[in-house]
Amino acid sequence: MSKYFEIRWHGRGGQGTVTGAKSLAEAVQGTGKHVSAFPDYGPERRGAPLRAFNRFSDGKIRIHTPVLEPNVILIVDPTLIGAKDIEKGVNDETVFIVNTEKSPAETKKALELDGQALFTVPANKISYKLFNREIPNSAMMGAFTKACPDVISLEALLKQARHIFSHVLAEHLVDMNIEAIKCGYDEVQK
Amino acid sequence: MPKNVAITGNGAMAEAMRQINPDVVAAFPITPSTQVIEDFAKFVNDGKVDTELITVESEHSAMSACIGASAAGGRVMTATSSNGMALMWEMLYIAASMRQPVLMTLVNRAMSAPINIHCDHGDSMGARDAGWIQIYAENHQEAYDNMIMAPVIGENMDVRLPVMVCMDGFLISHSVETMQIEDDQQVSEFVGEKVPLNSLFDTDKPVSWGALDLQDYYIEHRRGQLEAMYKAKSVIEDVSKRFAEQFGRKYDLFESYRLEDAERVIVAINSVAGELKEVVDELREQGEKVGLLKIRVFRPFPYEDISKALEGCKIVTVMDRSTSMGAYGPLFGEISNALYNLEDRPLLYNRTYGLGGREMLLDDLKDVFQESKDYLNNGKVEKIFDFLKVRGA
Amino acid sequence: MSDKYRLKNWQELPFGGVITEGGNAADYETGTWRTWRPVWKEENCIHCLTCWVFCPENAFALKDGKTPGGKDRKEIREIDYFYCKGCGLCAKECPVNKKGKKEAVEFIREET
Ligand code: SF4
Ligand code: SF4
Repeated sequence: MSKYFEIRWHGRGGQGTVTGAKSLAEAVQGTGKHVSAFPDYGPERRGAPLRAFNRFSDGKIRIHTPVLEPNVILIVDPTLIGAKDIEKGVNDETVFIVNTEKSPAETKKALELDGQALFTVPANKISYKLFNREIPNSAMMGAFTKACPDVISLEALLKQARHIFSHVLAEHLVDMNIEAIKCGYDEVQK
Repeated sequence: MPKNVAITGNGAMAEAMRQINPDVVAAFPITPSTQVIEDFAKFVNDGKVDTELITVESEHSAMSACIGASAAGGRVMTATSSNGMALMWEMLYIAASMRQPVLMTLVNRAMSAPINIHCDHGDSMGARDAGWIQIYAENHQEAYDNMIMAPVIGENMDVRLPVMVCMDGFLISHSVETMQIEDDQQVSEFVGEKVPLNSLFDTDKPVSWGALDLQDYYIEHRRGQLEAMYKAKSVIEDVSKRFAEQFGRKYDLFESYRLEDAERVIVAINSVAGELKEVVDELREQGEKVGLLKIRVFRPFPYEDISKALEGCKIVTVMDRSTSMGAYGPLFGEISNALYNLEDRPLLYNRTYGLGGREMLLDDLKDVFQESKDYLNNGKVEKIFDFLKVRGA
Repeated sequence: MSDKYRLKNWQELPFGGVITEGGNAADYETGTWRTWRPVWKEENCIHCLTCWVFCPENAFALKDGKTPGGKDRKEIREIDYFYCKGCGLCAKECPVNKKGKKEAVEFIREET
């Protein structure tokens, strides 16, 4: 097991998964931790499955290799459930966070998990409601803090996210993303 | 105020450029270094720097513009990668021999063909004879720190040479990592002002640059240039010391990681050193006497210091992330030069890895150490040169 | 040879081979290259300065003079053989020579 807290994101090109990993890293960084965020480097093609990674640590992070045994697996696109390679490196402690409207029980079955913790969040639904399109990142981050409050609390995430988003987004969009994080947090099912 | 940020390597280089606030930047975009200039262009647009940004039509023009602007007396920067730097080729030499301290971010990327945008060191290693100071970085912080030191080193009156600050494409350039960006004012004071020398703008003292130089003088000019490289070594040490005093991070010409009583040592450059440190720690916990020597300054190459650092170890594996077709790796060549005059030479061999971005996982690196253990136990090196992780080997 | 033309050691050279003295081509004696010699004939010269324009070594020296109408003009004074390399351009381009009746620049073999 790695000495770092490690996350593997599974998404599709064009969904903003890499940006999601970077935003989460920036937020966790804001709480004083060391972080890293990077994708599987390659041509990013719209719709093609892709992976992104995070490492969090109290000390310096020295490695740049892909995450092999993640503490958390974030599935950003429901259609990736059942795709090959998703269970790679999974152990009993691995936590799954899945963007889906299906129930945790159904999702567990679809993923053929044996007892690992799994959280579902209807991130696409939340995103359609708020933005009228599919940008699930913020809701996923909300779900992440529900599943892993030790890494970053909801309060800290909201504070950091507002700070980060305000550098790149218009004010009303900042508010909507904050709302998406809260919805993601509230609508998690275990 | 210094601040901790989560930032990409390219973003960090753009921050360093903003703080250095050069007079002129001339560049042409190429992956994976494009974002350096993109970010910097925003700083120009937002009025955060006083720089004249010249968007040229090729890298050859970029370096030409840099040389001209530098000869005019300006502090000048650029960024490029791989084939982009290859297109600068003749101008790289001219920048160095005209003693123009142009500052370059070189984001290491494999040379074509086949086209590959990922990391290896074929670009900068190919340019190792061009006369540029080459400084390499393991991670974001080191790349940024090296860039802050670069103008102070290159523009030193005893040196006046261009400086290439190298970092790994994607692995560093595109990943987000925690690092410290120093205070603007402090950086600005640290880098100081460039003192122009024989400036083209000094109309009271007109000069000719780049004149013809035949058999009667060319070799003397080259000898003088070499002297600048020799002097660069101690200047780099001095500047690094000053940097440590001001910003707290200490750098030498190379980093010795757990070398004290090491029997088996890997020599490597850039980001893989991070993974290697992790592996060295793990193997040390198991009682294995392993260590890492990470090259920071490749030109000028610190032969004597490295030979001292490696004296006493039993086997050295040199890992090259580039290949000189028909020869051993460029880093291996330097290390064997450094070790040759030792009375008690360690066993020595060369492994090429990571070309075109082929990943090296921690287990792969453990295998490298395992091989060196086997060689040591057998008392001989079976294969002096080989590729790692190549199918069909 | 003066010390100025002593070949210098590498330590004495300016950075990057920069040439710090403007106009130092004036010190270079191209006159040693000459095997043919232009001879200027003042009596035939109309002072059009064509030779002065064409001469690659700037060997024609000028002086102040007057046109037949009394206006100020520059006139040819002499050929400076320290610089004249004997290329013959002046003789070839001189409009007086071109007319073919007489020569303002005679071009002759150097004596051996
Ligand atoms: S011969 Fe040539 S160098 Fe001599 S004066 Fe005539 S043009 Fe000038
Ligand atoms: S070109 Fe002939 S005529 Fe004209 S100035 Fe010269 S020598 Fe005289």
